[in-house]
Amino acid sequence: MLIGKIDSIWRYPVKGMRGEEVPHIYTAYTGLMGDRIYGVVAADGDPGHPWHTGRDQEEFVLYKASYESSEELLLPDNLDATYSEWEPGIDPLYPDADAFKVKVETPSGVTYDDIEGPDFVADLEKLTGRSLRIHTTQRGIFDARPLSIFSLSAAAKLGEEIGMSVDKRRFRANFYVEWDNQDDPFYENSLIGKTLKIGEWLEVAIVERDPRCTMITLDPDTAEATPRLLQHLGRNHAGDAGVFAAVLQRGRVNKGDPILLK
Amino acid sequence: MTQRSEDNTGLIESFRLTLDGEDHAVPIAAGETLLQAALAASIDAPHSCTEGRCGTCMSWLRNGKVSMASTRALSPRNIERGYVLACQSRPSSSAPIWLDFDLWKALLNER
Repeated sequence: MLIGKIDSIWRYPVKGMRGEEVPHIYTAYTGLMGDRIYGVVAADGDPGHPWHTGRDQEEFVLYKASYESSEELLLPDNLDATYSEWEPGIDPLYPDADAFKVKVETPSGVTYDDIEGPDFVADLEKLTGRSLRIHTTQRGIFDARPLSIFSLSAAAKLGEEIGMSVDKRRFRANFYVEWDNQDDPFYENSLIGKTLKIGEWLEVAIVERDPRCTMITLDPDTAEATPRLLQHLGRNHAGDAGVFAAVLQRGRVNKGDPILLK
Repeated sequence: MTQRSEDNTGLIESFRLTLDGEDHAVPIAAGETLLQAALAASIDAPHSCTEGRCGTCMSWLRNGKVSMASTRALSPRNIERGYVLACQSRPSSSAPIWLDFDLWKALLNER
């Protein structure tokens, strides 16, 4: 049954920094190709969550990270060939590590050609007073699950509930979706335990609601905090917004792809 | 205003809590967090994880002193503002506590 479509696809090259919208993407068991490949580790960070993010430095959400080889990191070269290899397909060959090189532009307009170069971390350390280092992995760094889904209707309804315009980007989802169901703005919550087919290949199980933190209080364009959005979620939505999914069948996803309930 | 202290039992019997523009006098038992006391008093205080991770119970300590088991969800800027996590906060002195969840007032002061 057709229940909606993909509004937009987003990945976040550096955990906590601004995301980038992409026209299509390969989605593996480990999430979107190129999603949260880099993280900034704080020496004084919590042992269970050592990442330096907008929770520690609000303006961190304004840093723009982008891949030098952005196109190369959308779809693996041999993806089509892997679909026909055994059920449900084998892991395609990801580009070599150097293709994942990321440049970063700071809110003040300074550009660092390589996040792993010495200057970026040195300057961030100076700014924050923290001892920091860059960690990288091609398979992503996630707080909970590697795939997050959030609906445009949920963003609109939350805005209506608290009387302000709520930018969907606050929720840092991978897939923003548009549901056909017009009666329930939080329709994704009703899909827990269900399997969805997205586009021609991808299949996901919706596993749980997405518990939120102070990251959503930060305006993605100004980093100005609106704590009452998180307070509202806590008081009216059990602190959750959007859902997490687990990938059951890997594959390519395109902007506009149909979403079917299996 | 924030102090780390384990000796926080029975220092105060109640505290002032502001939420949605309304003031409440909240009784607090020895060992309770400010959030636990608020919820026990049937106040709809914002909260979610109750473990200091999410920041939903972030509030403005306008008076008094507390010790926090964790400040993980507080940025340095929010600590400077005098924000605390109600779920992690226990009284750490006999000074009267005023906890304000209407954070927009604190932000307004900065403009």
